[in-house]
Amino acid sequence: MKKLIISMLSLAVFAQSCTKVNESVYDKYTADQFFADPKGPDIALASVYARMPQFGGGDNGYYDTNNMCTDEQVVPHRLSGDWGPENAYLYTRAWTPTLGQINTTWNACYNSIYLANLAVTQLEKSGAPAAKISEVRILRAWFYYLLIDDFGDVPFYTDNNITTAELKTQTRTQIYNWIVSEITANADRLPETKGGVFYGRFNKWAAYTFLAKMYLNAGVYTGAPKWAECLAACTKVAAGGYTLHPGTANASSPLGNKYFELFGDLCPDDETILAIWLKRNVIGNNVLALRSVNGPNGIAMFGYSGWNGTIVPEETYNKYAANDIRIKQFLIGAQPGGVTYTPQVTSLINPGAGNTAGVRNVKFYPVAPNDGSGSSNDFPIYRYADILLMMAECNVRLGNAAAAKPFIDQVRVRAGLSPLSANPTLENIYDERGFELNWEGHRRQDMIRFGTFTLAHGLVPAVDAHWQLFPIPTAAMNANPNLKQNPGY
Amino acid sequence: MKKNYFFYLLRYGLTALFFCFLSSTYAQQSVFTGKVVDENNSALSGSTLQIKGTSRTTVTDTKGEFQFNINQTAITVIVSYVGYDRTERIMTEGKKLIIQLRPDAQALSEVVVVGYGTTKKSDLTGAVSSISSKDFNQGVVTSPLQQIAGRAAGVVITQTGSEPGSSPNIKIRGITSIQGNNNPLVVIDGVQGDVGLLNQIPPTEIESIEVLKDASATAIYGSRGASGVLIVTMKKSKSGSTIEYTANSSVDVVTRQLKMLTAAEWSQQAAARSIPASSNFGANTDWFGLLTRNGTTQNHTLTIGGGTDNFSYRASLGAILQNGIVIHSDNQRYLGRIEATQKALDNKLTITMTLNSNITQNAGSPGSVGRAAFTSNLISNAYISRPTDPIYKADGTYFTDPNLFQPLNVLAAANTIINDAETNRLLGSLRANYKIIGGLSAEVFGSWQKTSRTSGNYTPAVSTVAAAIDQKGYASVNDDYNDYKLMDAQLNYTKNFGNHHIDAAAVYEWQAQMDYGSGSAARGFVNDLATYNNLGLGDFSKVQAGDYSSYRNQRRTVSVLGRFNYSFMDRYLLTVNFRRDGATVFGENHKWGNFPSTSVAWKIDQEPFMKGQKFFSTLKLRAGYGITGNQQPLGVLQSLQIVQGSGTVYFGGNVQTNFRTTQNANADLEWERKKSTNIGLDFAVLNGRLSGSFDVYKNVTDKLLYGYTVPQPPYPTGSIQANVGSIQGRGIEMALSYDLISNESTKLRLGGNVTLMDSKVLNLSGSLNGVPLITNFIPYGQNAYLVVGQTIGAIYILQHQGVAANGTETIVDQNGDGKIDAGATSPDRVFAGQTQPKYTFAFTPSFRYKNFDASVLVRGSGGNKLYNRLRSNLSYLENLGKSNLLASAIDDNMYTSVFPLATDYWLEDGKFIRLENVNFGYRIPTSKSKHISAVRFSLTGQNLALITKYSGIDPEQTGGDNGIYPRVRNFAIGLNITLK
Repeated sequence: MKKLIISMLSLAVFAQSCTKVNESVYDKYTADQFFADPKGPDIALASVYARMPQFGGGDNGYYDTNNMCTDEQVVPHRLSGDWGPENAYLYTRAWTPTLGQINTTWNACYNSIYLANLAVTQLEKSGAPAAKISEVRILRAWFYYLLIDDFGDVPFYTDNNITTAELKTQTRTQIYNWIVSEITANADRLPETKGGVFYGRFNKWAAYTFLAKMYLNAGVYTGAPKWAECLAACTKVAAGGYTLHPGTANASSPLGNKYFELFGDLCPDDETILAIWLKRNVIGNNVLALRSVNGPNGIAMFGYSGWNGTIVPEETYNKYAANDIRIKQFLIGAQPGGVTYTPQVTSLINPGAGNTAGVRNVKFYPVAPNDGSGSSNDFPIYRYADILLMMAECNVRLGNAAAAKPFIDQVRVRAGLSPLSANPTLENIYDERGFELNWEGHRRQDMIRFGTFTLAHGLVPAVDAHWQLFPIPTAAMNANPNLKQNPGY
Repeated sequence: MKKNYFFYLLRYGLTALFFCFLSSTYAQQSVFTGKVVDENNSALSGSTLQIKGTSRTTVTDTKGEFQFNINQTAITVIVSYVGYDRTERIMTEGKKLIIQLRPDAQALSEVVVVGYGTTKKSDLTGAVSSISSKDFNQGVVTSPLQQIAGRAAGVVITQTGSEPGSSPNIKIRGITSIQGNNNPLVVIDGVQGDVGLLNQIPPTEIESIEVLKDASATAIYGSRGASGVLIVTMKKSKSGSTIEYTANSSVDVVTRQLKMLTAAEWSQQAAARSIPASSNFGANTDWFGLLTRNGTTQNHTLTIGGGTDNFSYRASLGAILQNGIVIHSDNQRYLGRIEATQKALDNKLTITMTLNSNITQNAGSPGSVGRAAFTSNLISNAYISRPTDPIYKADGTYFTDPNLFQPLNVLAAANTIINDAETNRLLGSLRANYKIIGGLSAEVFGSWQKTSRTSGNYTPAVSTVAAAIDQKGYASVNDDYNDYKLMDAQLNYTKNFGNHHIDAAAVYEWQAQMDYGSGSAARGFVNDLATYNNLGLGDFSKVQAGDYSSYRNQRRTVSVLGRFNYSFMDRYLLTVNFRRDGATVFGENHKWGNFPSTSVAWKIDQEPFMKGQKFFSTLKLRAGYGITGNQQPLGVLQSLQIVQGSGTVYFGGNVQTNFRTTQNANADLEWERKKSTNIGLDFAVLNGRLSGSFDVYKNVTDKLLYGYTVPQPPYPTGSIQANVGSIQGRGIEMALSYDLISNESTKLRLGGNVTLMDSKVLNLSGSLNGVPLITNFIPYGQNAYLVVGQTIGAIYILQHQGVAANGTETIVDQNGDGKIDAGATSPDRVFAGQTQPKYTFAFTPSFRYKNFDASVLVRGSGGNKLYNRLRSNLSYLENLGKSNLLASAIDDNMYTSVFPLATDYWLEDGKFIRLENVNFGYRIPTSKSKHISAVRFSLTGQNLALITKYSGIDPEQTGGDNGIYPRVRNFAIGLNITLK
């Protein structure tokens, strides 16, 4: 018995000496080790920009949420059975909190904010240059801007070390004020470099364009318009030396005009203020043209079968003047691949649209590398034409229509149109914004600001005001019971 | 070609064995015949007889009879049989001798293997079901689990689909962990592993399987025993020699099919519903028929073995060959095993070595193909394919409709996608046991499992898969390796002091599991000739981030454990276990856990006051309580904040590798703990003709490990591993066996078992970094949730109301607020049942008459609902233009759902009764044969009938039916020959 006890004890001692159970990390980095490295902060900043392609021309995400709810585009259900009816719900204003695109938009913004918070912490800890800290703070403010624009009052945090219970929703106005203060505090620290290493990044001019957008929509966000402030911010941007990219015919340019280089592989630096760099199968994806054309037409034009999805509502197409170079973005009538598109769509859901019904859009005419899932066209977020139209709008709103005219005329003349015959009205500006910025993600904001968003158009009747905000997604509501749903949902 | 050689070897080997049988000659020698019987004069088949002073042995046949032919006039035979005293008898020529064996006084009745040792079955204190090979289900067996399906109460073994190479799922006493697969620990002669370990041994080489169900039995396995333990004991060679060959071969056929629209019906419906004529190509194609065939399954095992008093060995070679009912789905598994035991030092030292090797070659059926809106397996894709689509275009290439978005030709996909995998496993173990002095012995055991798996995939553009057309074909090769080591050092002590008996064990155990591997992919091939065999032939310009990758991770567990068994007067039994485990996967300060258990048993039949009665031959009451830990649901590195490579980013004018924080740290992660209580009663009455056991149990699992849904913001991803809440499972298990007829020539036994179970979510709050997380309605299956106070997998679903004029389904607005709220806690959802069955049962009669035997297995379960998502996909008329639909869709007349909301319209009753197995066997009398000691032929039918209201292919699924590989019906013939 004694032997037994001794044996057991010695076994226990042996066991104690062999009891290391610390985890071995072989194929990943622990966050502490990773960010302590001198390269950590730059990588943290880059990782925030890695989220940007989510806000470009991809499928089923932020782009669709903010563009398909307007009069610019719709995906009808097809008689062939393609495209489930839910794809038309954004256009028909029948979306619910469960709609995937809305959830994707919410998550895209918040996972970007998490990474931006992390980058701010890492950059500050490592004593990085002020310009880099300012850059990521403006980028973070931009994600909050997308959130308040779509959802109104949203949860707000700038430090990741927070629990759900401590996370508080702030009003659209509170967050608006915070965004404006973040931009004004940081914009002047940013470099003025255009393109090159700053292609796709916030430089000083992009920051002021962002500020101008905040002021432009201040009336919608806070009830207190800021037209003069918007004009001042635009004037700063104009001082950056931007010009309109030429609208001249050129056989080697997409759709035969240099204008469409703005939506090509690399957005030209003369006009582009901020763009998203996309490369199919490398970073992001641009589906906009391929998603619009049908199968045989896609094969004939781009070498890959089109998706027969998005169309342009007939009344939107009909507003373009025949001599407007921008009308080249539309496909109608007989097309390569033996396809004839007809402008009229009579049913969106049941039974749906005919297989070749609807005007198609190839503004983002696919550039290589491209395949049957998308192409490499970059996506412009801010460009100088938008600045000119904002300046025109502010002047009209401030009662100075004569001062507005040269700005809008510049845009019209580049598009091959004649200058306006009279001083511009708000309606002229609203329409011109539609022509110039079609499919570029500005229309929802413009329609809300001009009060047309809830009106009847195309195949949809007028709706009430609650549709001007998207609902908080069901998944977010399930995960955080403290969230309050937007009114009307 | 290699595999074919092996196949022919087996086939011709079988023929050769027949010739041996037929050419047996009868020598002019003395004949000694006899019969071995037990204490009740029942024949003992399988007892071993050896002629003393020679190596000549034989085994008794089913009648207990034996025969020696030898050139002597008198012999002494040594008779041995497990559980009986070894006996010597002198035999004289020509006189039949009946030898009665007495039960072994020392090792009374059956010995049951429990954790780290054995015990007499009558001394068990925990809930253990023991199934010996003679009670196994028969027929073509591809997994050992099929042999014990329905044979033990509380053990649910389900086969979802019959895909070659797929294994059944096993759950012991329901769900005790909400993350992970709830699979038990498998221990094969001391080697521990997951259920996959069962695929490494020939099923016919298993002697018995013990199922440890309650904590007092499993606690000794501590960290890995929370979901129960299967202890597999392999057949051992006795002295003498063994040559045995077993073969089963079956034809597998399709059973239930969905009733879809015919080509004519589809055309008629399309015309009536403004589907353009351009969508109707006028063919009449049976896609399901093109994709299926009659399958075959074969199982062969050849075993040799033998030994002397000091040395024994057993070796086997097996093959399990499956050709699935879906074209191009095959699996071949080859199994080799050798075990050798040597005794030395006056029998004080016993060393046992085993070596298992197996090779599995699989050609898999693509599991996830199709259009973006509907990806599923090939069979589901065959169902949705329009019957009016032709197979080929006029030019002979596979047809697809150019006007559709990402159309798939399912036959093209089946014929041209290559999904190969080869898995090689090597498993070795060494056990050395030394009897030190008296009852003290020491043992060292080590095992090492090495697995390597190479898989190759090639999807050419001609497969019509959209991504393959984009990429002009893509190929990938993955190599995955596992390296699992285990080491035990054990001391055992056994002693009798008068009426007291103690049996104690102390064990130190160390385990390390390393997983590593690499993968690469290429795309853009100029032709499809080399498939995945040379990725370098791909288009260099199409290389993408993620095309090459590798990984390595490790988990280790260190344990000390002790067991103490005490019995007094062989009536009162006590077992105490204690185990302390440390595991690497937990948070900094929570790596160690203590897991105690205790159980008691009272053998009432041994009491003096029971002496006078004749009614009970066995009566034993058992009770136990214990805590087991669980780490299995948790992957490695979950407690740390990790940065990983995540694609690429364009930054500073360059494309560079992007790094991303992929998970939140949770330093609080700790052991999941299951507390279980079991009370059981074992009895046998009517001279043992009626026997059975009842068990009542309650399991409470605390600190559940789960990928908890957390909100974005503030978390970067939607879920985080945390210990959350607790669940409870309760059940009653009954197993009964009644010998209706039992005499020398005939035995009719009625057997069966029933399990009733329920579950409840007790609470659902956990913590993250010390801060409590409180939530409820955690998603758990389709439209099913974990809700405090409700059963696990409580279904809360929107209620179908009807169909609106525009064809959209309408939903009952339960709270009348004019809106349908889709949230998990929506007041518009109604409780509609549970995803887990409330009861399972099996009926297992068996019959033997002389050389003829038969057995039946009927199995069923119910009380659960199953969401038939496949039916909803195949029913909405919005899809008619591009898809075929169920014939019932016309009557449903539903154009579309309230996207994406699911309603109870698609929720169905999951109860069923299945005639799982019917087996007939005939043993050819061989007593006169010189070389053959036993031959048995059998016929088996599996999955012969299914009674269910469920409208889908098979109700034996949980969570939701998204389309499965069909479950086959098979008819098998079997042969077993044992040579002398």
